[in-house]
Amino acid sequence: MSEQPVRVAQLSCGPEHSGVQKEIYDAAEAVNAEMFFPDVTLADIRRSYDAFGLEARSGDLKLAIARAMALVEGNVEADAVFIATCFRCAEAAIVRNELRRYIHEHSDLPVVSYSFTERTTSGTLLTRMEALTTIARRRALLAREKQKGTTMGIDSGSATTKAVIMRNNEIIGTGWMPTTEVINSANGVIEAALKEAGLEMGDIEAIGTTGYGRHLIGDKIGADLIQEELTVNSKGAVYLADRQHGEATVIDIGGMDNKAISVQDGIPGTFTMGGICAGASGRFLEMTAKRIGVDITELGPIAMKGISKTVPMNSYCIVFGTQSLVNALAEGNSKEDVAAAACRSVAEQVFEQQLQEVDIKEPVIMVGGTSLIEGLVHEMGDLLQTDILVPHHSQYIGSVGSALLASGFIEEK
Amino acid sequence: MSRDQYVPTYVGTVTKYVFIDSPDVTPQTLAIRAYEISDGLMIKETCFGLQVTGAPENVKKLITELRKVDPAHIFVKDRGFPPGDTRRCRANLGGARPGYYGHEFESGLFRYVSHGLEELEKNTTPEFPRFGKKKLDEGKLPLEKLVEIIRNEEA
Amino acid sequence: MAKVFIYPATSLVLSDMVERWGHEALGAATSIRERIQTPSLDSPPLQMTPEDPKKGLKYAAVEVPCGVRGRMSIYGPLIEEADAAIIINDADLSFGCMGCARTNELVMYMVRQQEGLPVLDIKYPYSEEEGTAFVTQIKEFLTGLGGENNE
Repeated sequence: MSEQPVRVAQLSCGPEHSGVQKEIYDAAEAVNAEMFFPDVTLADIRRSYDAFGLEARSGDLKLAIARAMALVEGNVEADAVFIATCFRCAEAAIVRNELRRYIHEHSDLPVVSYSFTERTTSGTLLTRMEALTTIARRRALLAREKQKGTTMGIDSGSATTKAVIMRNNEIIGTGWMPTTEVINSANGVIEAALKEAGLEMGDIEAIGTTGYGRHLIGDKIGADLIQEELTVNSKGAVYLADRQHGEATVIDIGGMDNKAISVQDGIPGTFTMGGICAGASGRFLEMTAKRIGVDITELGPIAMKGISKTVPMNSYCIVFGTQSLVNALAEGNSKEDVAAAACRSVAEQVFEQQLQEVDIKEPVIMVGGTSLIEGLVHEMGDLLQTDILVPHHSQYIGSVGSALLASGFIEEK
Repeated sequence: MSRDQYVPTYVGTVTKYVFIDSPDVTPQTLAIRAYEISDGLMIKETCFGLQVTGAPENVKKLITELRKVDPAHIFVKDRGFPPGDTRRCRANLGGARPGYYGHEFESGLFRYVSHGLEELEKNTTPEFPRFGKKKLDEGKLPLEKLVEIIRNEEA
Repeated sequence: MAKVFIYPATSLVLSDMVERWGHEALGAATSIRERIQTPSLDSPPLQMTPEDPKKGLKYAAVEVPCGVRGRMSIYGPLIEEADAAIIINDADLSFGCMGCARTNELVMYMVRQQEGLPVLDIKYPYSEEEGTAFVTQIKEFLTGLGGENNE
């Protein structure tokens, strides 16, 4: 790579003592970024600590506060910020969250915050680091508001694979199927999308891939853009919802993990990705549908007819969540109420675990396959006290975002 | 990603920081003295003094000699890393390693400690307050005292 | 010669005082040196690997953050090995190995739990008078531990 490395400022407490610092270095290196520690003096630490006003007792958190202030005040130059503290540390969680908010509000620096355990690997950090560097490096690309020419986007998710073909800012072909063997699934959706669009592969001017299988597929078909789903999905969301200017919050409850992204003028500012357990993801809703004997597409309408609060359900963990699902049905609750309770539980988990790490700014846009489950959207709106936007083609969000961004490469050819 | 094997260097050595904070002796003078008696030890000059690396007994001998230059104004600290290690180097990290701030803080107290060492040398052993474990109510106004103040105000 | 655990374990003045008067200071440098001089999986900067927080389970339960357990794997063995300890009670500006307040609370408690371990409690000196008190108390304490004396 000939590009200059993206300089990512690290604000942290604990990774060096948890065996995780090397993982952070590796994840950064994989996306041509370099981690650095903003230089401050002891006098800066004293001054910043007093000025910031949060009375942290841990020295490393005091240091993190001083480093954050040095970044915001422009005394130290950086392209992006990575905040990392130990999972389960309350003091650090408070500081991490407040620093994330402070940097987001007082600078243009993209920020991601993460709480690690000794089991955190560079693989886990990679998507987040890739998004962080993309935002820093490809602002011009992310500023694209219209799709041009004929492009294809492929989203290889953990549960489903999707493809979209766009021409002159319109969707002209789509393909969708469950993910089995990654390449086969991709070939299947490409074929379907081409057929619907009435085109051949040779007509496609640029291709973008995203999702878990993005590298495998991207390398195989020679994609112009291979991009993680955080930036692609937030771009796709504001594009489809026609909210490309101003603030927005994008929520994507995926098959395996969830994303919450705070967007400003189409560019992600802060984001979180993950979830404690698949209990807080689309996977749990799939299981619910199976248990009550309906297709996943019917779950949303059924849930809308039920009352979520009549059935206790907690999907913090998918095993316990399944247990309460089984119990609820055994106790004779209606499938409508159970479906509604399952939607409520997933919404609660996302709200508790992820939305606390980004600032919710309206409009809130829900995307991804789960956004079609209207019961889930309803429960999320209820929790956030807002009307949630679900744009057309929201289940194709990754593909649309990829096709849109890939069109930026046509002129380069 | 799999981790590479780590092959350590300087095995069996110790490294000591030697800080000098003296009105009479400069870090340069101290370095010259150290080179005179170095006996094959690795010596690195720094803005605050020196870093000395080598076999533990040789380092100990050198430190004993160096202390004689200005006993009350030379401070020695053990260090885990050899000098110039890239993992701790400011040039690589972007900012100071965390331990640097501890040194910066404590070196601000050298003059008081030096004074104490000089007093000790004079063997005057003056009376001084002793500090114990920090108590929860340390420095707080005793309740009886507060009641007395309120009574006095009311009177 | 006694092995004296110092708190903060990164303290420059304490490391100096203990060794000046002929004893061995047990501090962060002791443990970090051991790690960076031992072949292992590459894990810069401190050569602490995910195994260290697991070793820390001896001192703190699994729900205690990994950074605390990792740090305890540095200090726990030192405290167990110590013949005495000196604690500076107002060490608010410590970073890195001593940068976690929860670890520091546990370290101090563990020191006090060691049966028969002589402990000297002091504070940082902020005047010449306090400097004299600081130095004299440490000297007295260390002399009381017996053994070789450089002076």
